[in-house]
Amino acid sequence: MRKLITISSGILLLVLAFVWWMNSRQPRPMELIPTLTNQPEYCLTCHTDLPEISASHPVKTFGCVSCHGGERLALDADLAHSTMRGGENPSDLTVVETSCGGNNCHSGSEAEKRDHIQRVTTSIQSTYAGAIANIRFTFGAQKDLSAQFGISAVTDEHTQTGIASLAAFAPPAEKNSMLQKFGENCLTCHINAVPREGEVYARQTGCAACHLTEKHKLTTSISYTQCNTCHNRGNYNLRTMAFDERTDHPSARLQDYYQPISQFTKCEYTLDCVDCHTRSEVMGNGDLHANKKDIQYIQCKTCHGTPTELPLTKMLTDPNDIAFRMDFLNPIMDLKLGDTVLMTEQGELLWNTRALSDGTYEMTGKATKQYFTFKPVMGSGCTQTGEDQSSAYCHTCHAVER
Amino acid sequence: MSDLSRRDFLKLARNGFLYLSGALTLGGLIRFLSFETNPARQTRFELGQSAKYPLGTKTPLNEIPALLIHSDQGFTAISLTCTHLGCTLEDDADGFACPCHGSRFDADGNVKHGPAAKPLKRLRLEITKDDELILYTE
Repeated sequence: MRKLITISSGILLLVLAFVWWMNSRQPRPMELIPTLTNQPEYCLTCHTDLPEISASHPVKTFGCVSCHGGERLALDADLAHSTMRGGENPSDLTVVETSCGGNNCHSGSEAEKRDHIQRVTTSIQSTYAGAIANIRFTFGAQKDLSAQFGISAVTDEHTQTGIASLAAFAPPAEKNSMLQKFGENCLTCHINAVPREGEVYARQTGCAACHLTEKHKLTTSISYTQCNTCHNRGNYNLRTMAFDERTDHPSARLQDYYQPISQFTKCEYTLDCVDCHTRSEVMGNGDLHANKKDIQYIQCKTCHGTPTELPLTKMLTDPNDIAFRMDFLNPIMDLKLGDTVLMTEQGELLWNTRALSDGTYEMTGKATKQYFTFKPVMGSGCTQTGEDQSSAYCHTCHAVER
Repeated sequence: MSDLSRRDFLKLARNGFLYLSGALTLGGLIRFLSFETNPARQTRFELGQSAKYPLGTKTPLNEIPALLIHSDQGFTAISLTCTHLGCTLEDDADGFACPCHGSRFDADGNVKHGPAAKPLKRLRLEITKDDELILYTE
């Protein structure tokens, strides 16, 4: 009996030593109790190397779980990650409402301009409605160019455009083989699509398709190169129903920005896309639209005016104006109450501009931080009529040589 | 010095094994049972003697975070957690500013502009018989 007890205690001691050794190899649990949730989570035990995702989403306040999901108390990696939303990307549109939504976050009221998710999910960049309608019309699957299908089914209960809903586009159900090929080869650009392979196409999906420009870093300072992971990379070939990549591989901005066939002015390649194209144009305005032209409205005259009219402006008198919020997120202007900024015909403020006392205007690049000044057309030698303000007319005189 | 007999040595070793394994098992059990996986956030803070905070001072309490004010009206404390989404506020020219989303509050904690909509929370203070200041966040 004594012998048995001795052997048993020896074995127990060995087992304990082994458990102790195994335990000592485990990382020491690192607890975080975010102020937003007030619930402890242990994600930082393994993820201390990640940078703060943005100044607006500090980990001390948000933690990890409120955005990413996951098992907050688990120390086993597989278990901890088992219920994550959207894998590594909680902004994927299939899960974005749970991750980024909420009244105080990104699915708040339109009046407070916190309806980002509603706008993005109905935007042409998500629905791809125009491209789908065009191709279906071209191959006889529908009688006109009206938007009937989107990448996913989506509704707009307060439609201002007459398009109340889009059905989910289902290429395998199409009778024409070209439409099936379109589905196989050409649906790589809407923001929830998995991008084509290759470094130039590399981007995430959902919000992160535009706002994540490096690992675990969200930004509103978005370079044209991020937009060009979809845009200006080539063309869809209607004969083969495949994507023809652009064949040049320039490194200089002048040649890289647009495709070789494009015509553009100096400001169009010197500035970044987001310096001119507004939130509504890029992220949608909450309505379903039939094609890109219906939502893209910025023209040269938005900043430069016409020979007979100055560009629209607005003086900032409300400290809650969205211009201040945008300048806070990407502090390039130091806007103050009383400043006058340019405004679009839709009433959107170009918050990275300011009217100067000498009748000129200044602009700072949102991504490059470059400072520019420019004059209105009024008073110059330009003879262009106010009606002919699409870019093609301005390019006639102002296009640059590549 | 007496030689340890083989029998005594084995007995000693056996007892040593028994006690050591028993102690380790007990230690492991206590450690396992005492580990709190889901602890509640601290809501009571002992700030020490009230004399540490002279009249006319405003003392930032970074670990809470809060601002302890000692004025003619006595002690008051304002939470420095933004009422919008909970970021820790920073000193501004004439109040407090949220570094996350830009809300501004005046020196009394009232909203100057959003996105925050509610004023900063006033925190409950208690002075014990021994003149110790206790602050409660809830």
